Amino acid sequence: MELRSYIIRRLLFLIPVLFGVTIFIFGITMLFSPIERASLYVTDARQMTNIPQLIETYGLDQPFWVQYGNWISEVFSGNLGWSRVVGMPVGDAIWAFLPATLELSIFATPIIILMGIFLGTKAAAHKDRPLDHGTRVMAIFGWSLPTFWLGLILMMVFYGYFTGLLPPSRLSIPMELVVNSASFIRYTHINTIDAILNLKGAVFLDALRHLILPVITLSVTQVAFIMRLMRSSMLESLGKGYILTARAKGLSERVVVNKHARRNALIPVITVAGYVFAGMVNGVVITETIFTYKGLGWWAWQSAVRLDIASVLGFALFNSVLFVLVNLVVDILYTRVDPRVRLGGVMQ
Amino acid sequence: MGNLIRIRDLTVRFYTYEGVVHAIDDLDLDIRQGETLGIVGETGSGKTMTALAILRLIPYPGRIESGSIVFFDRDLHSEIELLKLSEDKMRSIRGNKISMVFQEPGAALNPVYTIGDQISEVFLLHQRRELGKRANKQVDRLLRDGDGLAASIKRPFWHWQKRLYNKIAQESNPFEPRFLSHVPLFRRLLWRLKNESKLLTVDMLKDVEIPDAARVAVHYPHELSGGMKQRAVIAMALACSPELLIADEPTTSLDVTIQAQMLELFRRIKVEKGASVLFITHNLGVASEVCDRVAVMYAGSLCEVASVEELFLHPSHPYTKALLDSVPMPGKELQTIPGALADPLNPPSGCRFHPRCPSATPVCQQEKAKLKEISKDHMVACHLF
Ligand SMILES: Nc1ncnc2c1ncn2[C@@H]1O[C@H](COP(=O)(O)OP(=O)(O)O)[C@@H](O)[C@H]1O
Ligand code: SF4
Ligand SMILES: [Mg+2]
Repeated sequence: MELRSYIIRRLLFLIPVLFGVTIFIFGITMLFSPIERASLYVTDARQMTNIPQLIETYGLDQPFWVQYGNWISEVFSGNLGWSRVVGMPVGDAIWAFLPATLELSIFATPIIILMGIFLGTKAAAHKDRPLDHGTRVMAIFGWSLPTFWLGLILMMVFYGYFTGLLPPSRLSIPMELVVNSASFIRYTHINTIDAILNLKGAVFLDALRHLILPVITLSVTQVAFIMRLMRSSMLESLGKGYILTARAKGLSERVVVNKHARRNALIPVITVAGYVFAGMVNGVVITETIFTYKGLGWWAWQSAVRLDIASVLGFALFNSVLFVLVNLVVDILYTRVDPRVRLGGVMQ
Repeated sequence: MGNLIRIRDLTVRFYTYEGVVHAIDDLDLDIRQGETLGIVGETGSGKTMTALAILRLIPYPGRIESGSIVFFDRDLHSEIELLKLSEDKMRSIRGNKISMVFQEPGAALNPVYTIGDQISEVFLLHQRRELGKRANKQVDRLLRDGDGLAASIKRPFWHWQKRLYNKIAQESNPFEPRFLSHVPLFRRLLWRLKNESKLLTVDMLKDVEIPDAARVAVHYPHELSGGMKQRAVIAMALACSPELLIADEPTTSLDVTIQAQMLELFRRIKVEKGASVLFITHNLGVASEVCDRVAVMYAGSLCEVASVEELFLHPSHPYTKALLDSVPMPGKELQTIPGALADPLNPPSGCRFHPRCPSATPVCQQEKAKLKEISKDHMVACHLF
């Protein structure tokens, strides 16, 4: 199938998905009182003083379907509600916090995927030998560490014990001033990239320094996960007939493993790698909160504890769109790795 | 004619959780220059393991316990003990002097690489010198015939390429090309090697009677029929004109009509390429069509070796007789061999066949019979002789 029509078809698929997701989430918000829900419809701070009128206008005491219809038509006109936590519309808040989280993902995702694939390949090639046992222990350790605990321990050591070595948040205060100054052009709002584009080495290093701990915290569990998946996928592929053929050709073990086995073993890992990326953008809640790294996860957490329904709803909506998009990218990547797969999922 | 392979006392065991599997026991077998030797026997009798032992590719947890496998290298006029060779040397023999075609063509090809890629891989691995020579000729032609502006710009690169290809053609593993092959951009100087290997690949595919070979070369395995896949696998095995081609039940998974074509192809290969063929099958009819001599195996042991006519006219080992009786033929009552195949975890003592043998004597339970020559070129391992 042609790539463009495939993409269009898949994007149309977003409509039923979002319909389901919104009904589900909106259904849950019905558990709250109309007063609490009024913030969903606010577009600026002044309106917050006039809650009863909002309840009246939007029919917050009306039946579910009427309310859902009202809300969805608001969403379509671009109004996602008011985020009390940061005092701006939810749509703007998502745009404001997305770059920070993207920055985290940009650094963590390659580490997770490349390390996971590399270690998984090694473990499979050395099955039942010391290297395999070693990585297995590492994986069990990494997988069972609670994220918040690991984050706190890392911070205790690298911020507390080595005073201020690797601090929380996104930038130190002087660098924050540089970044917000008029001469610093914020192309992407991703600090490291903007620093490079503005040729500000100090900002770059400072941003990097703040990224190290959250990236490690995020990566540990995920590397363990990808590594184990890659290992079992590699073992399956190493047992296949074409591996014997490759060895009978006289190829070295390195080529057999890295060329003939790995390409096949990557196929299932690609799916999961896509979800790791998507999951990271929303699953950073704990990590960002611990390191007061102000990204989407931090915002979602703050909104959740303050019962900021509009923000939570917006966050959920954003996530569903992201998942569908990542799914699409994964499907397209599939066709690049596995010639048997055609767009549209016909398998021979 | 002399021997190409001489196997003596080969013992292969698998160390599994359930116990030690005796896959091959004290096997003695010769493969002669230019002959097609068949190995027949029921499933599980150790045919595949015999072949894999020659290539030293017995899968984990199996191990070659003892014995010797001597290979007579025609080019070097010398004997090589394969079981003592270093892994590097062994790799230069695999796919080059001894190659193998596997039972399932579908499983034997890597699904994510094209047929052409998988075959040219063999050329790039074992025939670098030949490819270097051919690429060199191409560059020479360009240097001689090239004129105009483009040619004068490219000329320095052609000279560089010529030097590289010369080195490849003359030295084994020369430094400069090996180094450049790891450097992005510069590795493109070596593209002619790949190109030549592709040309050789297409020739090879034509050789095994694949129609439209150039197009098939860019296909992925799943786009071809079973028969075409098997031809591609055979082309891969024949790429370096091996001295021994091992074919492990190459026709078993194919349709009957395709089987006949495939046997025809094997007969032709033997005549044209002068290679020895070790043809493994569980089908006596197939063996009689393509083989010069046939070896019969039972439960990891060799029972009888003889020329095809001799074996079919004067079968001597009780197992061979039983096997011939069990071949379905029109106008003949079908006999089955009583009892079940020996359990490889707990093989019977003495002669492996004694629990099922109609002529077993008390000594058969205690002692394994040695291989004896009962008439010219007719060897039997049985206490009756
Ligand atoms: N991976 C393995 N683990 C344990 N035993 C094995 C394994 N592979 C083969 N064997 C044993 O080796 C014996 C010979 O097998 P094989 O050579 O494949 O038989 P054939 O090719 O004649 O059908 C069988 O009895 C089987 O039990
Ligand atoms: S050695 Fe004995 S048991 Fe074995 S085949 Fe000969 S007669 Fe039968
Ligand atoms: Mg077999």
